[in-house]
Amino acid sequence: MNQDIHIPALARVEGEGALTIRLKDGAIDDILLNIYEPPRFFEGFLHGRHYQDVPDITARICGICPVAYQMSSVQALEAALQVTISPEVRSLRQLLYCAEYIESHALHIYLLQAPDLVGYESALSLAADDPQLVRQALQLKKIGNELLKIIGGRSIHPVNTCVGGFYRWPTIEAIHNLIPDLEWARQASIDTVKWAATLNFPDFEHDYEFVALNRIDDYAIYDGDILSSSGKRISPSDFEKHYLESHVERSNALHSHTADNGTYFVGPLARLNLNYKKLRPMARQAAREIGLKFPLRNPYKGLIARAIELVHVCDLAIELANAYQPVGSSFKEIRLLPGEGVGVSEAPRGLLYHRYVVDEQGFIRFAKITPPTAQNFAQMEADLWALAPSVVNQPQEQASLSFEHLLRSYDPCISCATHFLKLRIHRT
Amino acid sequence: MSVTSPDARDTFPGITKIIGIGQSLRGDDAAGPAAVSLWQKAFQSTASRPDIIVELADLPGIGLLNLLAGASKAVLVDAVQSDAEPGTIHTLTEDHLASFELGDRSAHGWGIAETLSLGRALNLAEMPAELTLIGIEAAQLEIGAGLSPEVELALPRVASLIELIVSGAAGSGSHQSGSTLTSPK
Repeated sequence: MNQDIHIPALARVEGEGALTIRLKDGAIDDILLNIYEPPRFFEGFLHGRHYQDVPDITARICGICPVAYQMSSVQALEAALQVTISPEVRSLRQLLYCAEYIESHALHIYLLQAPDLVGYESALSLAADDPQLVRQALQLKKIGNELLKIIGGRSIHPVNTCVGGFYRWPTIEAIHNLIPDLEWARQASIDTVKWAATLNFPDFEHDYEFVALNRIDDYAIYDGDILSSSGKRISPSDFEKHYLESHVERSNALHSHTADNGTYFVGPLARLNLNYKKLRPMARQAAREIGLKFPLRNPYKGLIARAIELVHVCDLAIELANAYQPVGSSFKEIRLLPGEGVGVSEAPRGLLYHRYVVDEQGFIRFAKITPPTAQNFAQMEADLWALAPSVVNQPQEQASLSFEHLLRSYDPCISCATHFLKLRIHRT
Repeated sequence: MSVTSPDARDTFPGITKIIGIGQSLRGDDAAGPAAVSLWQKAFQSTASRPDIIVELADLPGIGLLNLLAGASKAVLVDAVQSDAEPGTIHTLTEDHLASFELGDRSAHGWGIAETLSLGRALNLAEMPAELTLIGIEAAQLEIGAGLSPEVELALPRVASLIELIVSGAAGSGSHQSGSTLTSPK
């Protein structure tokens, strides 16, 4: 690499961003991760809207993880309005979340990150050489989308979730009909873990601060307390005291730091490292069979973490689908009262925090959304700096790919984070 | 292992799918779903035919392959950006589409052309034999904005065009095609 790298539009990431690497006298002078997709004005957009509009509006922030936006927002609003949901609603929300994990993880593992690891330019060239693998990926993703459609009404932006529960119960028959597909998906996920273990991951490890939701009784996705690998455990309502956002001029997205100005890492690696023991036995078994040692400190191995999570969510989905037995009303009646609430859930790419203030008429007076990718930006930049010395001597094109691959391993969702990527390398 | 779900396997040959693509909260990006909805209202007798399936998709990405599965004929309606005047209607076949350099990272890394190429590369049997893309030239894609007047004005013509294609009266010749067509998302 003998000149600056500028990647004006990063491929195989969600949303739009650029990366510029500036060289000076043969050494890296500056690394700029820039997000130029128009800032998402969702927080402002929600101001003055009725609380019940929020799950449907925030679902539009992302085409890949709309369920995450719905789950964090309804929990925040239910806290604000002091609504307690029924156990049946909670189970169905968990099942809906499984659907999103299946479609999102299948997409990222096979179509976004795998081409980097097996040396293909894109999933298209991978498809030409290994169509069976890509068909399996598409089938997995499709099963996730089908489940999403049955519960959420639509396969892309589900509409059935509401504050207090669901607008209607899906039929038992529709849910049960998907069980054979989910059983296929669970086996395909176990095969995915074995296949993931055969990939050659770049040698790159760091001692990250991992942050993820944690529950005593299960592998936290829908809700939980916030646990850090530093040992700190906080309640969701204290999130903003410990994890701060600041604006960075080059970026439309806010960057997050810990209160003592450190970077931290959210996502599947964080969840798996912090909650490995809470995985369902079948997922733990899959991890053991490939000889996985924890903690995993290599961001590229997020792919393995996603594969293991796929086994977990498929197995959980089968249990929840078998047990699905809706009782009574699908939602709680809500009495209006002014209040404030926070909601945190684990989007497929990491912790997603929402906070709302609702007035006495049920209108939103304040909205704050902290997406996982914004929380990972500072860590991604730190990783790019750490990677740079080993890349600087590679041929230009190879160097550029190396940087992109590292970023893609985070499964950044830039559309979500723009409230914020493309690569430039300048040489002076 | 096949990508066909049991229900798709059962669909009879001859299904036509009309798919409106675009984000309803992002200005003229909503043109595709808006045009398809208008066609449904204006041509109810065609739209309610049992061999016709309508899908409105915000950001289908690679899920477009699932939406297309089982159709023998498909009409995609989407907002596009080229050098043409806002509201210009472009009619493209899949061949045209493949020849465009789509600067499109929509669909979370998956543009329409790329997604269709993937479907063809995998020899997915359920891909429609006949596919037409109706592109509506966008003026703006502002988050929270509605449709531009020029785009709004074009919708009835798009609805009529959908009807012509669905009823088999129109080939998918080029109405007008911009040379630098890009999908806006």
